[in-house]
Amino acid sequence: MTITAQPETAAPRAPVLTLQRMMPALLLMPCLAWISFFFLLPLALMCWRSLTAEGFSLAAYSTLFTSALYAKVMLTTVKTASIATVLALSLAYPLAYALTLSGGKLRALILVFVLIPYWVDIIVRSFSWLILLGDNGIINKMLMTLGVVHTPLELLYNPFSVLVGMVQILLPLTTVILFGAMLRIDRTLIAAAKIHGAGGWQAFRTVFFPLSLPGVYGAALLVFVLSLGFYVTPALLGSPRETMIAQTIMVEANQLLDWEQASAAGFVLLVITTLIAAIYNRYFSLDRLWGGSDT
Amino acid sequence: MDQSAATTRTSGAQVRLRKLSKTYGTTAAVDDISLDVPAGVFVSLLGPSGSGKTTTLNLIAGFLTPDSGDILIDDRSVAEVPPHRRNIGMVFQSYSLFPHMTVADNVGFPLRMRSKLTRDEARKRIAEMLALVQLSHLETRYPRQLSGGQQQRVAMARALVSRPRLLLMDEPLGALDRKLREQMQAEIRHIHRSVGTTVVYVTHDQSEALTMSDVVVVMHHARIAQIGTPRQLYEAPASAFVADFLGDSNLLPGTIAAVDESGYAVKIGNGVFVHAAQSQLKFSAGERAYILIRPEDMTVHPAGSAQGDGPQSLAGDVTELSYHGDVFWLSVAVGQGLLKVKVAREQGGAFETGRPVRVSWSPNAARLLPLADDDLRAGERARS
Repeated sequence: MTITAQPETAAPRAPVLTLQRMMPALLLMPCLAWISFFFLLPLALMCWRSLTAEGFSLAAYSTLFTSALYAKVMLTTVKTASIATVLALSLAYPLAYALTLSGGKLRALILVFVLIPYWVDIIVRSFSWLILLGDNGIINKMLMTLGVVHTPLELLYNPFSVLVGMVQILLPLTTVILFGAMLRIDRTLIAAAKIHGAGGWQAFRTVFFPLSLPGVYGAALLVFVLSLGFYVTPALLGSPRETMIAQTIMVEANQLLDWEQASAAGFVLLVITTLIAAIYNRYFSLDRLWGGSDT
Repeated sequence: MDQSAATTRTSGAQVRLRKLSKTYGTTAAVDDISLDVPAGVFVSLLGPSGSGKTTTLNLIAGFLTPDSGDILIDDRSVAEVPPHRRNIGMVFQSYSLFPHMTVADNVGFPLRMRSKLTRDEARKRIAEMLALVQLSHLETRYPRQLSGGQQQRVAMARALVSRPRLLLMDEPLGALDRKLREQMQAEIRHIHRSVGTTVVYVTHDQSEALTMSDVVVVMHHARIAQIGTPRQLYEAPASAFVADFLGDSNLLPGTIAAVDESGYAVKIGNGVFVHAAQSQLKFSAGERAYILIRPEDMTVHPAGSAQGDGPQSLAGDVTELSYHGDVFWLSVAVGQGLLKVKVAREQGGAFETGRPVRVSWSPNAARLLPLADDDLRAGERARS
C-alpha cells in the first residue's frame, strides 16, 4: 500500500456566526449596556448642557479659563493631589515591601490591617480625624495634659489635616497596587544578585527597587487621578483655602444651581485627567500594572 | 606563560559536605549527606525531582541554612556565611538575568559588587568573558532581546566574570531544545576546561550527567544512592534504582541457586536458570536478587537457530517492534516479564511481532543487584 500526501482540499467555508464566536460580544453586553446608560449617556448630556446655557455658547468655558477663582482652585487641587500621591507612595512602599518579604500568616495579618480601613466608609474615616485632631481632640488633650503645649495646636482645617485624611484614605489602595506589582518581581533575581556579591541592601538598590519602579509609576497615576476628585475629605477637614475642584463643582450645582458652569468644570476635569493618563501611559506603560510584559 | 590563559584561569575550590541535613516540616529534603568534591572537578548531582539535589545546591549557595552538618569550601566552614560572601558563581535554571540591565551590565554585576577593579580593568574583564562565550557583538542588548541560548551564555559569563573558584549550575539547559542543549553541553565542558573552576551541576537528565561530568552523584530520597565516574555508574551500578535511572535496563528478579568463581546460577521461575557474572557486590546462595542486563548488550536470534543457546539466554516472543532511526527496540515476552532489547538497524528488520525468538548476551553482561529497593542499603553494601 502506498500513501501519498493529499493536498488539502479547500472546502468552501460559509461565514457562519457560531455561538462560540459570538461569546466575547455576548459577555461584554451587560457591562456595555450599563456603562452606556449610566455613564456615557449622562456624560454626553453633561457636555451638551455645558454648551447650551442660552442657545449654543462657550460662555461657561470662557468663564472657566478666565476666572481667577478656577485657576486658584485648580492649582490647589493639583498641588494637594500631588503631595498626597507622593506621601501615599512613600508610606505604602515599605509596607508593600514588607508584605512581599513576609510569608503565610504574617502576610495575611498585615493585609487584613491594610484592608480593614479600606472597607470603612470614607465619610466615617474623615470624621474620625475630627475626633483625633480637633481642639478638644485626643492629640491636643494628650499634649496639654503632658504640658507640651498650653493652648491647643491648630491641627484641623488646614492643608495638613486635608493631607492626613487623604493619605489615610489612599494608603490601602496604594499598598495593594504596589504589592501586586512587587509580587511579579522574580525572587530568583534577588538570589542571583546575592550569590554574585550583593548584600541585602545592594540587592534591593540595584535589582529590586529598579524593577519595582514601573509599579510605582502606575500606582502614582491611579492615586493621583483618584486624588483629583476628592470631595468629602477636603470639605470636612479643610478650610475654604483648601477648596478642591470637586467641591467647587458641587457648590455650582447644588447651591448656585449654575448647572452649565458645573457641567463645564466637570467636563474640563475629565479631559485633563484623561490627558494626564494618556501622556503618562505613553512614557510609563500602565500595562505593567496589570501583568503585561516588562518590555 | 600564556598571557590569555593566565588571565581567565583560576584554580578550583575544594568542596566538602559533612553530614548535611535539611528538613521541611517532617520531610527530609537532604538527609545526612557527606560528599567530597576535589578541586577543579565537574561534578553532577543527578536524581529525579524531589531527590534533594536542588536543596543540596541551595545549601552550598547559602540560600538555605542546614539544620545540621557543615559545608567546607577550601577547608573554610561556610555554613554561617551569607551567599554574597561565599565567592561563588551561579547559573540559574531560568537564567535570572537582570531584565533592566544590558548584557554588559549583567556580566559586570559581580565585578561592581565585589571586586575592586578600576573601570577600565572591569571593562576589559567583561569583554574577555563575552569573548569566551562568543557574545561580544551583543553587549548593548537587553536580555529580552536575546534567544534562550544567548541568555544562557550571558548567565555563564556573569557567573564566571569575578573568577569564582566554585560554579553552581541549577539545571541550566532545561529550557533549551535538544540540538541547542547538546551544543551548550559541549560549550560548558569547554569553558570548564579553560577556566579550571570547580563545577557543581544539578540535573535530572541522565545523558547530560553522563556526557558532561567527571563525577556523578546519584541522589534518591534525600540521600546519595551512589557516587562514581559516569562509566562506573553505568557499568557497575550499586542498586536497581541507579541501574534504572541511568539508561535503560532489564531487571529480572530471581533466586540464587549456586555460586562459584565464574558467577551465579540464578533461578528465575519455571525452572529456568540464568547465569550472572561476579562483581564487587557479593551474594550467597538462597538470596533473592535482580539480574541486570542492559538492552544494548543483548542479541536476538530466530527461535530454533543453533546460536545463543544456554544459560546466557532466554526464549520468548516478540510483542513489539519500534523503529527509532538508528536502532530498533524490541519487546520480548519471556514468561517472567518483558525484555527490552536494542537491535542495530540492519538486524532489526528481520523480526516481526508474534515471532518466537531467543535472546542471548555475553557472560559479563548480566550482573546481580540487591532486590531491596532501599538504595541506602545498596550503597552501604557497595562500600563494605
